[in-house]
Amino acid sequence: MIDDNDILLRVRHLKKHFPVKGGLLRRQVASVKAVDDVSFDLPTHETLGLVGESGCGKSTLGRAILRLHEPTSGQVWLDGIEVTAADKTRLKALRRDMQIIFQDPYASLSPRRTILETLLEPLQIHGIGSKAEQRKKVEDLLEVVGLRKAVLNRYPHEFSGGQRQRVGIARALTLNPKFIVADEAVSALDVSVQSQVLNLIADLQDEFGISFLFISHDLSVVQHISHNVGVMYLGKLVETASAKDIYADPKHPYTRALMSAVPVPDPKTKSRRIMLSGDVPSPMNPPSGCPFHTRCPEAMPHCSQQIPAATNVGSTASPHWVSCHLHGDEQTPTGPATKPPNAAD
Amino acid sequence: MAALLSVEDLCVEFRTDKGVARAIDGVSLEVNAGETLGLVGESGSGKSVTSLAIMGLIPSPPGRIVSGDIRFNGQSLPGLSQGAYRKLRGREIAMIFQEPMTALNPVFTVGSQICDVLRRHMGLSRKAARKRAIELLDEVGIPAPDKRVDEYPHQLSGGMRQRVVIAMALSCDPKLLIADEPTTALDVTIQAQVLDLIAKLAKDHGTATILITHDLGVVAEVCDRASVMYCGRIVETGDVGDIFDRPEHPYTRGLIQSIPRIRDDKLGRLPTIPGIVPDLLDLPDGCRYRDRCPQALERCGNFDPRLEQHGNTLAACFNPNSEAAK
Ligand SMILES: Nc1ncnc2c1ncn2[C@@H]1O[C@H](COP(=O)(O)OP(=O)(O)OP(=O)(O)O)[C@@H](O)[C@H]1O
Ligand code: SF4
Ligand SMILES: [Mg+2]
Repeated sequence: MIDDNDILLRVRHLKKHFPVKGGLLRRQVASVKAVDDVSFDLPTHETLGLVGESGCGKSTLGRAILRLHEPTSGQVWLDGIEVTAADKTRLKALRRDMQIIFQDPYASLSPRRTILETLLEPLQIHGIGSKAEQRKKVEDLLEVVGLRKAVLNRYPHEFSGGQRQRVGIARALTLNPKFIVADEAVSALDVSVQSQVLNLIADLQDEFGISFLFISHDLSVVQHISHNVGVMYLGKLVETASAKDIYADPKHPYTRALMSAVPVPDPKTKSRRIMLSGDVPSPMNPPSGCPFHTRCPEAMPHCSQQIPAATNVGSTASPHWVSCHLHGDEQTPTGPATKPPNAAD
Repeated sequence: MAALLSVEDLCVEFRTDKGVARAIDGVSLEVNAGETLGLVGESGSGKSVTSLAIMGLIPSPPGRIVSGDIRFNGQSLPGLSQGAYRKLRGREIAMIFQEPMTALNPVFTVGSQICDVLRRHMGLSRKAARKRAIELLDEVGIPAPDKRVDEYPHQLSGGMRQRVVIAMALSCDPKLLIADEPTTALDVTIQAQVLDLIAKLAKDHGTATILITHDLGVVAEVCDRASVMYCGRIVETGDVGDIFDRPEHPYTRGLIQSIPRIRDDKLGRLPTIPGIVPDLLDLPDGCRYRDRCPQALERCGNFDPRLEQHGNTLAACFNPNSEAAK
């Protein structure tokens, strides 16, 4: 069992509901439950991969944790400090410890600022170091992400996608964060460049002990980079386990379908796909009971009635959480819908 | 037997502010009826330009076909009039793009758009066209096709829209189908359905298909043969089995090795290809892969390698993998 002290990020019952306005008076008529009661622990020095289809709430979860979106309810602790309770000043200080890397490095870099200006900015905002120290820090960072000093006076449009992503990573590293949300950070890159950036992320973790929430729709990439993997569907974590267990023995029918759909780069293995019927339902009007029951090939009558509780089907040392009536014990006293899966190696 | 489509030594240039960029430089490929050819390569390698050239859709200016030939069914395409090309595109060659909305008109129902094609190119009556449109929607796996036929594109999900585009592309039973990243914008579960659909239809109708993708997994799953593009050239062509098992070009091997895979044991680091793709306006002399190639020889910097038989594939390389291993 992982010691509580090794938990860097703790998320409990986190919800983010977006109001949907309508009618003449633009009153709230409904809400989109983008993140709906998510709990997990992320140990120091580890990566939790988050997978799921578009619109399932992956990015919203990442942003709600950083309070880039104000959570509707729930708690987030970073290194023992409650992020969700922090006031403005506190939050600014906390921001040094938690950073984000986006999918499209181009959109997240200012076109009119040189790379040097972009990388100096966080240090200036937080008033860290003298001018000379700031400059030194930026040069060191460039070396860490494998860019030459000569790029400092250039502008983002002069770079390739892979180079821009390295700049984005360097910027996220300027304040020595403990935790980074990488939101589809390699998705826009070609494989040859993607592999370079994935190796860079792994090296940074080894060197600086950073914890990552690695969000991606690409299951192969997630398996490669993560210690633990969480699968999201309609705002909920439906399965969480070590990368090894979840890929070797997926329990949730959604996880199984997702895995079976990944094209395998080997013509000798003809994958046996589990076909899902229909599309993902609207998060504005999620199905009753298990959110997956409308597409589940194994749905049972009570799946549409009862929300399945998270059950640990693994061991205490290596937990494997799944929210599915096929695996759950229906008699469990109904506590919180999602118990905290304690991540472990 | 001559191939249904053969592209021979095709060169396309674009005029840009910074100079003339040769987007594809000597591309040759063949596709036979009932066969699916995968065209793979990284962004900017010239996949889309190749397909646009075949379709007669290179925007001109700034682009133009500088040299080479495209032969379809024995006929040379580059000299064709706009009108003749348009006819060909409607009936015999169909195209599916990455973003289905580019092929659909938002203000008409999906039914009326399919019917339009059927009436124009197949000469069907209004009633027969509607009946056929519903059949087609059914064939591409759209539930309740008799209802969906009257819906507008925005009422459908991304996966449904791409199915409608496929239905439309297939409505005239084309001989050649070009699909440019048809599933890149879709979720993996939907992608699998759409790929299976394209493969099944190609087999059932004997359609020759060119599937453009940057995803080698997709190629492995649905293609018979594959051509790998790098920097405006095809660097290797072969049966999919050989391309994955015994690639001859160092770039093909590098690409295959750098894909993360779902596997039982975690691999520490991914093998990578060092460096980046050179700029089309500033190409190195000799082999375009030389600066990144682990097995470059002296002559690679002085001469252009041409596609030649090495092992089981055609590869443009002076020191192909089977040679380098010796
Ligand atoms: N209209 C245009 N004007 C100028 N250059 C163009 C034009 N269209 C394409 N090019 C250039 O031609 C080259 C090949 O582009 P192409 O779109 O074929 O690449 P691709 O392999 O399809 O890439 P991707 O995977 O990103 O779709 C690129 O350098 C591109 O910038
Ligand atoms: S021709 Fe030379 S540089 Fe080019 S791929 Fe072959 S060995 Fe490498
Ligand atoms: Mg393209």
